Amino acid sequence: MSNAAERLAPNSSLRVFISAPTAARLAALARILVETGHVPVADEAHADVALAAADGRLVLTASGGAGGSLEATADAALIDAAIRAVAAGLVVQMPHAKEPGFHAIEEGEAQKLLTAREIEVLSAIGAGLTNKEIARQLKISLHTVKFHVEAIFRKLDVTTRTGALAKAAQLRLMQTLEL
Amino acid sequence: MANHSDILAQVSTALSARAAAARNEVAAIRLSGGRRLTGTVWRPDLIVTSEQSLPKRDTFDVVLGDGATAEAKLAGRDPGTNVAVLRLSPASSTSAATGNAAAAVGTLALAFGADGMGGASVRLGLVNLVGPEWHSRAGGRIGSRIVLDMQLRPSEEGGPAFNAEGGRLGITTFGPRRQILVIPADTIETVLPSLLQDGRVARGWLGVALQPVAVPDALQPLAGQETGLMALSVAKDGPAAKAGLIQGDVVLAVGGNSARSVRGIVPSLGPDSVGKTATLRVLRGGTLVTLEVTIEARPTQ
Repeated sequence: MSNAAERLAPNSSLRVFISAPTAARLAALARILVETGHVPVADEAHADVALAAADGRLVLTASGGAGGSLEATADAALIDAAIRAVAAGLVVQMPHAKEPGFHAIEEGEAQKLLTAREIEVLSAIGAGLTNKEIARQLKISLHTVKFHVEAIFRKLDVTTRTGALAKAAQLRLMQTLEL
Repeated sequence: MANHSDILAQVSTALSARAAAARNEVAAIRLSGGRRLTGTVWRPDLIVTSEQSLPKRDTFDVVLGDGATAEAKLAGRDPGTNVAVLRLSPASSTSAATGNAAAAVGTLALAFGADGMGGASVRLGLVNLVGPEWHSRAGGRIGSRIVLDMQLRPSEEGGPAFNAEGGRLGITTFGPRRQILVIPADTIETVLPSLLQDGRVARGWLGVALQPVAVPDALQPLAGQETGLMALSVAKDGPAAKAGLIQGDVVLAVGGNSARSVRGIVPSLGPDSVGKTATLRVLRGGTLVTLEVTIEARPTQ
C-alpha cells in the first residue's frame, strides 16, 4: 500500500498539532482527535497535520504542503476525513468558501462571461425551475430560454444544469469584488 | 575531513552561515493557542508581517533574535497589499542593516521563519517567477508578482526572503493554492509611511459588489464595449447607493476609466480619489444612464 493510501485508511493514526483561540475549543478539538484515533502532538514540526481554529474556520496544513479548510461547525467525521485527506496530499475545500491566500483580481475571458439575462436564467435554474417555468417567470418564449441555457452551457463549458450552477458559483466567488 | 574545495560543501557552509545570521532578521509573533507567525525586522523599531494571517489585535508578544520577549504594538495594516506593521519599543538592538533588492527569475532565494525561541528556520528555493505589477482582490497594487518554488509552514509566513547576495526581496505570504508569494520590498516601502502615519492606506470606495458580465450583442453599439461590471449588491447609504446606482445596473465606466474589467477601474479608486466626484456610465434596462458619485474612503472592517 502506498504511503498516501495508508494515511487515507480509516484505521490509521496520524499526529496532529492543534491550535485554537480558547482553551475550551482546544479541548473540544483534542477530544475529537482522540475519538477518531489520532494523536495530538505539542510540536508543529513533528506533526503530520496542523489543525488551527481561526476566524470561523478550521485550517488544515500537512507537513507535505497540502492543505485545506473546513467550516468551524464541521463534525468529528468530517474533521477526521479532512485530516486523512490532507495527510495523503489532497486539498480539502469547502464548496462555497473563499479560497484562502492572497489573491490577484481574476479576470474572466470576455467570451466566457455571462450576460445579465443569462445570470437571471441561471438563478432560476438554481431555484429548481424548468425551462417552461423560467419562460413564464421571465415573460420570454420557451425558445428564448433554451437559447439562453445553451449559451450558458457553452460559456461555462458544462453539459448539465447542476454543472452550470457549480461552475457559476465558483466563478462568482473568484470574480466578484467589493469596491 | 571535509573537502573544502568541494563546491557543494562550500554552498552548504555559506547557507549555514546565512541561517545563523538570519536570527536577527526575524521575530516570532505569538498568536493564541500556541500558534506563531513570523515577522520581518524591517527596521530596528519595525516588524513587518503578512496582514492576512495577523489576528485583529492591538498588541502582540514577539520573540526577537536574542531570545528576549518584547511587546509590539500594531502600527497599521493594509489588506490591499497584505502588509501589517508592528512597532517595537524599545527597538531591537541586534537588527542588522539590510538593503532591499529586486527579484530576478531563476536566482536562488532563501526564506526565513522564526522558530519561537530566538532562532531562524530556513528554506531554500528558486525565484520561480517574476511578473509585472498586479492588483489584489482587496484593491491594492503590488509592484511585481514574485513566486518562490518552496513550501512554508504557516508559522514561517511573513518572514523575509533574500537573494544569494543577501539583498532583501520582501516578505513571504501564502497565495492561491498555498503558493509562496513575496510582497516586494519596494511595495512595502511605498505603503509604510501611510501605515505609520494613519494606521492604514486610504482607498476609494464605491460601496458596490461587482461581477464582470457580457454586454448583450444588441446593446454593444450603444455601450461601446463588450463587457461591463454588474452590481450584484449595493451597500446601503454607500457612495453608489447615494448616487442612485441600483442592483442589476451594469457599470461601463468610472470617471473616464473603462469598466471593461475590474482592473480598468482600480486606478479610479486610488488613495487620492477619496472625496472626489466621478461620473459612472451605467447600462440600465437597455438604456445608458450617467450618475455622479462622490468616492468615499473604504471603511475599515
